[in-house]
Amino acid sequence: MPRTVEFTDTEFMIAQGARLLEDGKTFFVGWGIPQVVAILAQKLYVPNVVQLFEFGAVGPQSALPFVRGTMGGAQNTYRSLQWLNMNWAFSYSASGYMDYGMLGALQVDPFGNINSTFLGGTFAAPDRRFAGSGGGNQVASHCWRTIIVIKHEGRRFVPRVDFLTSPGYLSGPGSREKAGLPAGTGPYRVVTSKALFGFDDDTKEMTLLSVLRGLDPEEIVREMAFRPRLAKPIDEIPPPTDAELRLLRDEIDPARIIIRGERMTAVA
Amino acid sequence: MTLRREGDVEYRFEHPDAFRRFVRDRKSRRPQAKLLSAQEAVATFVSDGDYIVYDFSSLTRGPQILIREVIRQRKKDLWIGAEFTLHESSLLVGAGCASRIDVGFLGYGNYIGQAVCDGRVKVYEWTNGGLALRMLAGARGVPFLPTRDLLGTDNLAVSAAKVIADPYTGDPVCLVPALNPDVALIHVHQADVCGDARIFGTNLFALEAAMASHRVIVSAEEIVEPDEFRKDPMRTTIPYFLVDAVVHAPFGAYPGSMPARYEIDLAHVDRLNGIRTEDQMRAYLDEFVFGVADHEEFLDRKVGAQRMKELRRNATIVEGYR
Repeated sequence: MPRTVEFTDTEFMIAQGARLLEDGKTFFVGWGIPQVVAILAQKLYVPNVVQLFEFGAVGPQSALPFVRGTMGGAQNTYRSLQWLNMNWAFSYSASGYMDYGMLGALQVDPFGNINSTFLGGTFAAPDRRFAGSGGGNQVASHCWRTIIVIKHEGRRFVPRVDFLTSPGYLSGPGSREKAGLPAGTGPYRVVTSKALFGFDDDTKEMTLLSVLRGLDPEEIVREMAFRPRLAKPIDEIPPPTDAELRLLRDEIDPARIIIRGERMTAVA
Repeated sequence: MTLRREGDVEYRFEHPDAFRRFVRDRKSRRPQAKLLSAQEAVATFVSDGDYIVYDFSSLTRGPQILIREVIRQRKKDLWIGAEFTLHESSLLVGAGCASRIDVGFLGYGNYIGQAVCDGRVKVYEWTNGGLALRMLAGARGVPFLPTRDLLGTDNLAVSAAKVIADPYTGDPVCLVPALNPDVALIHVHQADVCGDARIFGTNLFALEAAMASHRVIVSAEEIVEPDEFRKDPMRTTIPYFLVDAVVHAPFGAYPGSMPARYEIDLAHVDRLNGIRTEDQMRAYLDEFVFGVADHEEFLDRKVGAQRMKELRRNATIVEGYR
C-alpha cells in the first residue's frame, strides 16, 4: 500500500546527493551541506569513498554526531588515512586524483558557474556579502566532476551570476580549456531541494533530469530565473528512505539544526 | 611573456632578496629561551600597519589568545591574510584593528558581511588555494608560483593574480605573488621555550607561514623539554629558529577546539555568531577582551574551571593525536 513520507527539503537534498556518489572514488568535500552528504553516503552507500578536506584531511570517516559549523575538528577528521595541509590537499585535486567535488552555492547560472561571494551591488559595495570562495574555486577548477548542492529557490538560478566565484562551463563549450583550466573537468550535477540537473554534453547548458516524486517539472522550471533544458523523459526521484532519514535524524544531526527546512511529503 | 590578464588591486609583496636579507640579518639561530607572556609577545612583535596571518581557524586550533591580545592592545590598520576567518575578522574589524583582509573564507555572520557592505573594511579575493600558494612562494623564496585555478573567474579582477601564457605549454596559467607577512600567529599543541613546535592533526600552512613571515609568535597549550623534539623529529612542525616568541597558552584556542585536548564551546561560538550591531560588538569586546587584563583572567572569570573541565571531557577522540 502506498505510504506517504514526511521530510524537509534539506533532508531530500542531502539524501539525493548521497545517492549520486560512486563507491571506490575520491571526493573533494566542500564546507557545510556537502559534509553531511558525504557522511550519509559513506555510512549507507559508498563505504570505500575517499573524502578529502581542503586543509589536508585525506580519507576521513567522521565520528557522529556531526558538529555543525566546523570542519577541522577531531570528529570530522576522525580515522583519516593521512593528515596534511592545504597546499598538499590542493595538490591531490590539481594532479587529477579527485574524481568528484561537491560545493554549495548562493547562485548558479545555466553553465554551472557558481557565486558564493556577494549578492547585489558591486564587489566593493555589495548589498549582501557572504563567505566567498574559500577553497571552492580550486574544487570547481580541479575536480573531474563537480556537484553543486543548492536550495531550489528561483532567485538562486540566474541567467548571470553577480560574481563568478568558482568556474562552471564559463561561457559555454570549450571555454574552460580556453581559460587554462584543466581539460575534461567541469560541473556534473546540480542537486537541489526539489530536483536534479545535469549538463548537456554538447551545449554545456543545465538540463533538468529528474524531480522529486509528485512534483510537476513545469512548476520546478517556472520558479527559476532562466529556463533550463529538459531531459526526455524527466525521471522521478523517490523521497528520502527510512534508512536515510533515520541516520540523518538520529545519528548525524540529532539536534536537527542542519536538516531543518521546509516540510514536504511524497509517496514512498 | 604575454600578460593575458591581471587584477588591479593593492597587494602585499616584497622582493625575495629583501626577505632573504631580513632572514640573514634579523632572525636569530641561537636556541635561547623566548618564553613571553601574550602581552609581551604582542607588544614586542606586532605593530600598527602589520600584515598578519594565522593558523588554523576560529573553531579549530586558532591562536585566539593572541587575537584577543592584539585587540586588547588596540593595534591599528592591520591587514590580515585569512583562510578560515570565521570570527577573528569580525572581532578585529569590530574593534577597529583591521582595515584590509585577503581571503579566504570570510566568516560567518552578519557583522563582518555588513562591515564589507558598509565599506569599513577592504576585502581581496585570493581564495584559500591562492593564499596557501602565496605563502608557499614566500617560503620558497620565489616571487610567484603558477596555478591552474582562479582562471576564468571574477576573483582575478579583485586579487593581484596575473594570467600569462605558460612558456612550456603555451596555455594560459595563473600566477600568484609570494606573500611574506610581517607576523604569523600559530597555536600549537606543544612547544619548548626556544620555539620548537608540534601540531597534532591537519593545518593550513603552519610551516609555510612560519618560514615566510618576518616574525613568528607561537602559542602553545603545553611547554615541553627541548630534548623531546630530538627524540621524535618526524613530529616537529616548526623548528625553533623560525620562531621569535613562545607563549604558554592553555585553552589558547578557546572558544574553538584543540583537537584531543578540549572541544569547541558552541554556546560561546553562538554568541559570537549572533553579533549583528555595533552595540553587540562593543558589549562582547568589553566583556571578553577589554574587561579582563589577560588570558588567565579571561579563563578564570569568563570561562571558569567547571566549563573548562567539561570541554576537556568532551574531547573524547584522541586516536591519531599524541
